[in-house]
Amino acid sequence: MTTVSRECREIEPDLIAVATAEAPAAAARRVERHVESCASCRSELARYQTVDGLVTAYRDTRAPEADPTLARAQLESRLADLRSRVMRYGVFDSPLGPIAIGVSEHGVSMVEYVRQAERTGGRLARRTGEEAVEDPRRTEGLYRELADYLDGRRTRLDWPLDLRRTRSDFQRRVLEATAHLPYGAVTSYAGIARQIGAPRATRAVAQALRHNPLPIVVPCHRVIGSRGDLTGYAGTRIGLKRDLLAVEGVHTVAGRGDYHVDRRAVYYKYLDGGEYCLPTCGGILEKPLGEFTVFGSRARAEAVGLQPCSDCRPDLHPLPA
Amino acid sequence: MAEEAFETVVATHHAEIHRYLVRVTRRPGDADDLSQETFIRAFRAHASLTPGSNVRAWLFAIATNLCRNYWRSESRRRRAHEAAGETAAHHEEAGGEETMVMEQAGEEIGRIVAALPLRQRLAFTLRKVHELEYESIGRSLDCSPDTARAHVFQALRKIRRGLDAHAAMRTESTR
Repeated sequence: MTTVSRECREIEPDLIAVATAEAPAAAARRVERHVESCASCRSELARYQTVDGLVTAYRDTRAPEADPTLARAQLESRLADLRSRVMRYGVFDSPLGPIAIGVSEHGVSMVEYVRQAERTGGRLARRTGEEAVEDPRRTEGLYRELADYLDGRRTRLDWPLDLRRTRSDFQRRVLEATAHLPYGAVTSYAGIARQIGAPRATRAVAQALRHNPLPIVVPCHRVIGSRGDLTGYAGTRIGLKRDLLAVEGVHTVAGRGDYHVDRRAVYYKYLDGGEYCLPTCGGILEKPLGEFTVFGSRARAEAVGLQPCSDCRPDLHPLPA
Repeated sequence: MAEEAFETVVATHHAEIHRYLVRVTRRPGDADDLSQETFIRAFRAHASLTPGSNVRAWLFAIATNLCRNYWRSESRRRRAHEAAGETAAHHEEAGGEETMVMEQAGEEIGRIVAALPLRQRLAFTLRKVHELEYESIGRSLDCSPDTARAHVFQALRKIRRGLDAHAAMRTESTR
């Protein structure tokens, strides 16, 4: 390398490329022509070919103490932990506005009405204490079922539920009782309180449902105040509750800043009864709503296996549609 | 479903990514941590990976990126130099007349590579050990494929010079 000509300097990268079998054909031809007449570059080429062979030897030597077994085992355990905390979610445009649906390895762990500005995962993750990973593909099927449901084409969402985010055993019991409310049926907070064997806990039931992590799927919209007023939903979005009930055939009447179910326009079932009645049957209208589950239509009552009452015969004298 | 697919990703690529990290950090403990971190990150981002992407190159990119962050810490860089020194000392003790030339050269290359500037070391290892395309290496290192290639060639020049110097030293010492 004593007298390096400009040509030699210029060809050097091609020379390395040829030696390491990376040169395109044109460069290879250039190098071939050049080394024919340049002994110094010929020996350079041979030297780099040797280096290339030694690099191959280096590649084939085991990396020092490269036993990945321990790292792999630790990784698997971290992944298992992560998997149990991870929530995959998607945000979808629904007739009720953007809705986030999240699933964990245990089931659906989040349904949430989100505002347009909150469509990213950071906030969702912070709120839930989970690892939120945006994965719309994972939740798209669920969303399609939900869309059908909101369109009235589907009456059940048979999703496995992950209720680990519940705040207490009491809340879990409330959510489970609510989850069993049939489509098109409405009961009151007092009714749920009775069902879970805590008849005096009406307010606590309302609180528990206020923090329902799975609205729609756990149909807290079917739970209303004892006077028939809708009371509250998703903060101040009572209109959503009205819309969800309307989809299920339970119609409401607008009142002072709220809506209420017209007690004269629904069918009644005593909490542990097997029949459905007209509102005029046996002084029902004088009794608190907490003693009943009500239905917007005969079809919905009969869909859950109820018989028409043999006294008031709602089958012969149905309410006006 | 994504979980199952990820199982396969770990099973297929973990050992290789780990080897890569051991080579470039020369500290097996750190390589353990970095390889775990690589796959934890990959797990989080796996869902958003476009179907049909080159998963292997993607994992190398994550690992490489972690390495670069790792090396930004001055103290780590110093530790790595010490580690390179230790290995060098260790090898000199072990090196006898019988040691095969190839093996010895391989070790010598390991020492030279450890002393390369980070980007050259990463580019060289990605290309010459793990045989990634320059496209992928460029993406890992935030540079063009041509620049990635220039890093590799620069590494080869240094290896060549290093081996020449080593050979000269050995010749002198045996005289």
